[in-house]
Amino acid sequence: MKKQILDVCDLSVVRSGKVIIRDVCLTINEGEFVAIVGPNGGGKSTFLLAILGLLKTRSGTIEIYGHPPMSRKLHRKIGWVSQAASHLPKDVKITVRELVKLGTLHSGNMFDFDEIFGIPVPILNTGRNEKVNQAIRMTGLEAVQNTPVARLSGGQRQRAVIARALATESDFILLDEPLVGIDPESRNSLLKLLDRLCHEQGKTILMVSHDLTAMSRSAHRIVFLEETIRFDGPTWSFPDMDKLADLRGIANVHGD
Amino acid sequence: MGIGVIMLDLTSPYLEWIGPMMPGEVFPYFFTMEMFQRALLAAMAVTIVSGFLGSFLLIRNLSLIGDGLAHVSFGGVAVGIVLGSTSPLWYALLFSTISSILIYEMQSREILTGDASIAIFLTGMLAFGLVLLRISGGGITLDVEGYLFGNLLLIDSADLDMIITISLISFFTLISIHSALLATTIDPLAAKIQGLPVRGIGQIFSVVTAMVVVSMVQVVGTLLVTALLVTPAATAQLIGRSFRSCLVLTQIFGFSSVILGLYLSAEMDTGTGSMIALVSATIFAAVAISKIIRSYTSGMRVYSLNEA
Repeated sequence: MKKQILDVCDLSVVRSGKVIIRDVCLTINEGEFVAIVGPNGGGKSTFLLAILGLLKTRSGTIEIYGHPPMSRKLHRKIGWVSQAASHLPKDVKITVRELVKLGTLHSGNMFDFDEIFGIPVPILNTGRNEKVNQAIRMTGLEAVQNTPVARLSGGQRQRAVIARALATESDFILLDEPLVGIDPESRNSLLKLLDRLCHEQGKTILMVSHDLTAMSRSAHRIVFLEETIRFDGPTWSFPDMDKLADLRGIANVHGD
Repeated sequence: MGIGVIMLDLTSPYLEWIGPMMPGEVFPYFFTMEMFQRALLAAMAVTIVSGFLGSFLLIRNLSLIGDGLAHVSFGGVAVGIVLGSTSPLWYALLFSTISSILIYEMQSREILTGDASIAIFLTGMLAFGLVLLRISGGGITLDVEGYLFGNLLLIDSADLDMIITISLISFFTLISIHSALLATTIDPLAAKIQGLPVRGIGQIFSVVTAMVVVSMVQVVGTLLVTALLVTPAATAQLIGRSFRSCLVLTQIFGFSSVILGLYLSAEMDTGTGSMIALVSATIFAAVAISKIIRSYTSGMRVYSLNEA
């Protein structure tokens, strides 16, 4: 039996008096590629923030690798890929390599440095450069590793942020709307990259997106979240539009 | 005898050795006379640390915190003077450290976003200082003017000790937290998930900022702190390609501003602080103009859409 990575039970979240998520139960096993889809305001991002432990929940339990969120034991197990296009400051001159290297930091090694102003100190070698090289190779960013992040295209920037998560050596990667602001070609190669990470590296991937068509081509399992889970199953069994409308409780306005 | 005097003893033979090679009539005194040597050493120490600190302030969108805390420290100096303290800078240190942490907390808790919290502390504490001085009957004396506009030649041994001590502490603190600080600045959420103590790092950074600003107040003066803190870093951002190269370039621009500023102020008999600020702004303008010209001649657009 596969190992359980994420186990959410009866989760409810209330933000400023409004119920955003109600009674959500979700289990994710090792090696799965799960997409959470749903309309804007349906609670997708809230769900992600809640399982990361960044939001107060009203009820329910969340366990990642058997630990509560924000536990110290989870620090190097979760990789977080934010909406890179909007979250990275644009005026900071930082190269792809420098960005990826930030991913190797954690509370145990944050005061270590293996170089001073770019001059390597051999005694202080922390092995972080090897992790960085590996992450850059996996994401195919070798050619642009010394380019400032601000000069990259949207797709490359998203890869750089994924590389940062890989440099953490996390096995569970969470992505928040990674396809926003990315051209179709980069979108496909990005989805291929995620698929490869899942199959070849055995990473578990949980992705939030409102791009239902892209998700149905890449994810193994789709969760439709609108306040509560309306559908959860393998991608091939995802309902058609008519059935989906019924699941979401949308009445036919034309009547009969 | 503090660490500043020890540093002065260590470096003065070298300063005296290069002194005669320096151009100008007054400028060589900066290398040969003890009063001027103190000024030079203090200016150097402050430049190194403020360049390092400024690179981070710039990307944290805190360019004006230097100015804000400098005004806060003026309020602290006023309290010190009224209480009859011989070293009012310690009061400045206390006031700006508290203010700096409060500004950080207000911003990170989103009570007040942007630089509004800086503005409130800046005006409030400056007004407090002025009112206090007037009530106590002092008014703005020459001594106070030194704190406002900076006078390197006011620095005595005790001040030098304080400046060098603060610079060394701040420098090594910044060196040891600089990776984590960069991570929490660029993407606080990701840093938190990685397990970095985002809030702790932010508070340490606030304290360091306050300490450095106070140690700068006497070198360039309250009104011109921003010049050394932000201008070299901003100039470096124009041409640097990586964060590391920006750090190195900031030091180069900061050093040239200070040396050139001291030289010109000595030869033309102007205030040191204002001349250093003027030189660093001129260097910024020169680099910005040459960047624009170069991008025109190489056929590149000045404002690339990719960068916007």
